[in-house]
Amino acid sequence: MIDVVNKIIYDTILGTTPILLCVLGGILAYKANVLNVALEGMMLMAAFSSCLVTLQTGSYLLALVAAILASVLFACIFSYFGISLEGNVIIIGLGLNLLALSLTSFLLKIMAKSELVAANYKVADYRLNIPLLDKLPILGPIFNNHTLLTWFSYVLILLMAVFMYRTPMGLHIRVVGENEDAAISLGLKTKSLKYIAVLMGGITCGLAGTSLAMDELGGIFTPGMTTGRGFIAIAAIYCGQGSPYVSALYALLFGFARSMALNLSIYAGSASRIFNALPYFIICFILMISSIIKNRHSHKRGY
Amino acid sequence: MLSQSEKRKQRSYSASFKYSLANTLFAVAAAFVIGILIMLAIGADPFDTYYQMISQSLFTFDGLMRTLHVAAPLILTGLAIAVTFKANLFNMGVEGQMLLGGFCTAIVGSRFQNLPPFLHILVCLLLAMLCGMLFALIPACLKAYYKVDEMVVTLMLNYATVEILTFLSEGVFRDPTSGYVSTATIQDSAMFSKLFSSDLTSFFFIAILMFCIIYVVFKYTRLGLELKALGQNVNFAEATGMNVKKKIIILFLISGALSGLAGAGWMMSEKFRYTLSFSGNPGLGWDGMLISLLGAHSPLGVLIAAFFYSSLKVGMSKIELFTNVPGEIISVIQAFMILFLSVTIFSLKKSQERKARKEQLSR
Repeated sequence: MIDVVNKIIYDTILGTTPILLCVLGGILAYKANVLNVALEGMMLMAAFSSCLVTLQTGSYLLALVAAILASVLFACIFSYFGISLEGNVIIIGLGLNLLALSLTSFLLKIMAKSELVAANYKVADYRLNIPLLDKLPILGPIFNNHTLLTWFSYVLILLMAVFMYRTPMGLHIRVVGENEDAAISLGLKTKSLKYIAVLMGGITCGLAGTSLAMDELGGIFTPGMTTGRGFIAIAAIYCGQGSPYVSALYALLFGFARSMALNLSIYAGSASRIFNALPYFIICFILMISSIIKNRHSHKRGY
Repeated sequence: MLSQSEKRKQRSYSASFKYSLANTLFAVAAAFVIGILIMLAIGADPFDTYYQMISQSLFTFDGLMRTLHVAAPLILTGLAIAVTFKANLFNMGVEGQMLLGGFCTAIVGSRFQNLPPFLHILVCLLLAMLCGMLFALIPACLKAYYKVDEMVVTLMLNYATVEILTFLSEGVFRDPTSGYVSTATIQDSAMFSKLFSSDLTSFFFIAILMFCIIYVVFKYTRLGLELKALGQNVNFAEATGMNVKKKIIILFLISGALSGLAGAGWMMSEKFRYTLSFSGNPGLGWDGMLISLLGAHSPLGVLIAAFFYSSLKVGMSKIELFTNVPGEIISVIQAFMILFLSVTIFSLKKSQERKARKEQLSR
């Protein structure tokens, strides 16, 4: 029994990593009032390129760089169409998700493979074994043996909070999101600030894709492997209303739901899938509550 | 004789139509050019591929009938999206509503026995529409009463629907005799019979009937006018005394019903059982979004775009037999079309501004 609980918590920490990285990427764009729906597609491209580069070169570092490049390329397309050409960002995001899905499947077909398996990569080599931690009875199995990227993703929450609330650029990005006209009147370059917000999201999504393909699944890419993680990240961002700490907590909650779905399937069969649907209902509920609270005393018209 | 202002109005309508047509054609052309580049990059002959695609889907009897058959659900999902997009509401849940309709049909179609065919099909269609409407009611009420962003809610509910339907088809409703996850095959009485010994079924005519109804609603009824008013300026529409809440709910219900119908028809004319790949990849609902964008959210445009896209889809499923290009290329082209259609490259306003600037300079 205790093993199952440990496994669930360990998987929560591991499985939250890609969602958390996505949340931290999307949060800046959300604050700049650009809803980045393309998180899912960016993560998928990153997962594909990291797996491919590992397969070709065997270098984890190169894989990470390739993943970030692929993801940032998508972020560039997203921001060019959405910010410079002023298209509907949701439709662009969905288009990019479709592009990532079809492009990766297309490339796999050309390589005559149904999935990429980086056989030359062993995830166990990259798991950190912390000397004293492995001796502890309960904390040991939970917190030991995580990769560097997992630890980094939790540190990134702090870094992102510092960037958003303690630096001028973070402040400017938030101003652009709150009131674009005011930002223009202050002489801020709103478009370039939005670009920066989206592109920084591209970098963390690159990390998220690597974490998913290389750490969580141990060097395997299958088409459509992100299975809605990008949207779960968006749900977490909305539920936390753009605060890095609260959104990260929601990411953990949703990661926990996924981990329950994964680990309880042995006992409950496919009924554990209900846990997978949970985040989507939670966000609808929270959006409703927050909207009721916001509009409680307002008699403003309009939709 | 038309008065001066009426003439001017007509001219501006035709001008804006010209610009929207230019945008659409540009997006299609650009996506196809990218398709050519990709095919060149993998060393295939792009022109032969396109030629095969068109000839297989349009110039053979079977291919043409198949194109019409595949177009039927696409017309419905396209209309479902157009009804809301035109009113500046965004029902991104068409995919989920369609899946729900299809799943409901799979259950009702296999569990109800000894019904006469006509009645059985009617029951399936109505229940599927009801399912789609129930799904659509959630975001509609949240939007109308609590001003919750309907785009986010519908996007999220799609994924929830997929997970729940997967659970149901793996568990309670799984057909134990089948080797993979699927529900039981529907009864013969719930299947549309094939016409002209081709893939075409009477579902196509139901889709056309729905198109006619929506066309009339858009063009000649009060609801159609109100829908356009909502799309142009929701606050103004409300200020003139329109009951915006009610209109939002009605539009979402229509959209949900159309999506549910699409799923039911696709189930009863093509798939006959709910599997995890029922809707294909990308799903019929996402295809509907592209079709509505291509058709500039007008019913007639949706109809034409649905036939166009359906011929692409049918052609691409055939080209894998004749060329070495993977069929996924169609999804890549589709994705680029969505990207290019989401932005306006030629617009009336921009060109007027440009003209005005030029006049100012010359003066």
